[in-house]
Amino acid sequence: MDELYLDNIDEFVNDHDKIVTYKWLSLTLGVHVNTAKQMLYHYLDHKRKESSAPLHATYLVSGKFVDNGQTSHKVSVVKEDQLEDVKSKMSLIVSVHVYSVQKALLKDSGPLYGVDYDAVKDNLKNCSRYSAIRCASAVPRSSVELQQARHTQLAPAPEPEHKKSATNGDATPASKPSTKPQKGIMGMFANKSALKNQDSGKEVKSEQKEDAPVVDEPKSKPAAKANPMMNFFGTQAAKKTVKQEEAAPSSSSAEQQRPSSQPEETHAAAAAPPKNSKKDSRSKTKRLEDSDSEEEKMDKKKRRRIKKPEPDSSDEDVIPDSPQQMETREASPSPKKKAEPVSQSHQGNCEMKMRKKRRVLKSRTFVDDEGCIVTEKGYESESYSEAEDDVPKDPIPAKRPASSKPDEKKSQKKASANSNKGTKQASIMGFFQKK
Amino acid sequence: MTTLTRQDLNFGQVVADILCEFLEVAIHLILYVREVYPSGIFQKRKKYNVPVQMSCHPELNQYIQDTLHCVKPLIEKNDAEKVVVVIMDKEHHPVERFVFEMSQPPLLSISSDTLLSHVEQLLRAFILKISVCDAVLNNNPPGCSFTVLVHTRDAATRNMEKVQVIKDFPWIVADEQEVHMQEPRLIPLKTMTSDIVKMQLYVEERAQKT
Repeated sequence: MDELYLDNIDEFVNDHDKIVTYKWLSLTLGVHVNTAKQMLYHYLDHKRKESSAPLHATYLVSGKFVDNGQTSHKVSVVKEDQLEDVKSKMSLIVSVHVYSVQKALLKDSGPLYGVDYDAVKDNLKNCSRYSAIRCASAVPRSSVELQQARHTQLAPAPEPEHKKSATNGDATPASKPSTKPQKGIMGMFANKSALKNQDSGKEVKSEQKEDAPVVDEPKSKPAAKANPMMNFFGTQAAKKTVKQEEAAPSSSSAEQQRPSSQPEETHAAAAAPPKNSKKDSRSKTKRLEDSDSEEEKMDKKKRRRIKKPEPDSSDEDVIPDSPQQMETREASPSPKKKAEPVSQSHQGNCEMKMRKKRRVLKSRTFVDDEGCIVTEKGYESESYSEAEDDVPKDPIPAKRPASSKPDEKKSQKKASANSNKGTKQASIMGFFQKK
Repeated sequence: MTTLTRQDLNFGQVVADILCEFLEVAIHLILYVREVYPSGIFQKRKKYNVPVQMSCHPELNQYIQDTLHCVKPLIEKNDAEKVVVVIMDKEHHPVERFVFEMSQPPLLSISSDTLLSHVEQLLRAFILKISVCDAVLNNNPPGCSFTVLVHTRDAATRNMEKVQVIKDFPWIVADEQEVHMQEPRLIPLKTMTSDIVKMQLYVEERAQKT
């Protein structure tokens, strides 16, 4: 082993401020990955003894992990301070090695992927040249076989085990073998990604947070995980998101996966881009998502095709608007306590064909169970017309009907919020008045 | 393989679009890395095939989009010399300035198919560099805010005032206080040269931050 490697790594880390991952190092210096890992380890050791500028390192830990009685093979990239913690949680440690060395303290795992991206792209044909994973029987398929394979993949995947072994020898970034069973839906996606998806799916549920994504994977396809969150989305993409849930909870965006999964994922991505869960599920953001998705849930009950209202999805909003109006129109004559603005504004709705929706921060005043008047602020979806002349007349704010308002508001949020003054109540005569 | 020139307005718009998209991602990333806002509002998204952190806060996003929407016409005409993201402390004194200097060659021409993917690669390198910039920068004091300044060539701002690009989003000439920084330290981060744009990113940091 050439002794200059220490200087090389030093140059990369200190002078160029690069993040040096073992894979990047092996491709750059043209050495086997195991050699690269050792080089990094020695460098780290050397520098720590000299105690010069602070260096940070990330490690890759892989081993058996028992989670609620279920054993799984977990591979994670962790920061140095979490290393011992993660190691102690594993029941059996298969391998631990240095993943990267850098000067900066990384806040999230994103850059680790970015570092390898270009290096792998440049060496796409032979990026496993220095890899330690080999399978003699893995040879690229001929185009005929590829076509046949695509046809059979559309049916539920037959033998996940075969796929697994085929993937291991693939000329793509190394994926560690997983012992978890594949689901039928997995066949929809490229072989390799299926493994990684399962890995990362389990990962999320484990304690490791953003600092421990599956190796080579920190991806950020918005259609990513938090499986519990997906349950709230009952949209047109529901079927697709369900598949996504099982199949690709985390976003491993290996290039191969992209073509096949792109259609599904762009749908799901379009479904609720800001709402879609993050890979790093922090408790704060989880809470945010919870409150947001509660509202979404209500919305979804009524509107199967609308997701979170956005300016560019306004076209979609037009169509489903009418069915909803019909529903509430029928409901309005019967109950006396029905809020008048609801019915009034529906008439307005039917006249104005072009309605758009927006989320507005509104304060609702209502009487709660104890008889106290409560004002609550919240984002409500408000339907507004382009002409904005649809101001319902609500002369008499009545407090008693307000008690039923919260329930009705929840169930017919869009309609009730149509009245610009959400806090005022209309008189009963308002139903008969035409604006 | 067509050769388009600057006179071809569509091409100028394309370049401006690319740069504005990049600036949006870069601003979000700077806010994340420099901890101007709590990291809870950021969400991982993908740009140029790598993960980046973008904020979910609607007002912040709207502000950044409006800002860049106004800057876009300047870039189209190659009037924007520098776009600066200034991070200021509680007293509104600048603490750090991320300067994106850009210039477009007078005779733009696309002459290769791989131009856009080449540009994407260069922009990806910028993103990566911003992610690790905290290795070379000191920590900011708490309670910072940010603003975006644009340095233009000649008197382009006069035109801007005449035509308000977005209503209720006026641009004003920056105060001396916001522009001038005491004892700045210059740290270059990245440069890129391509057929359509030359861009340089460096950071000016105040020697004493607290």
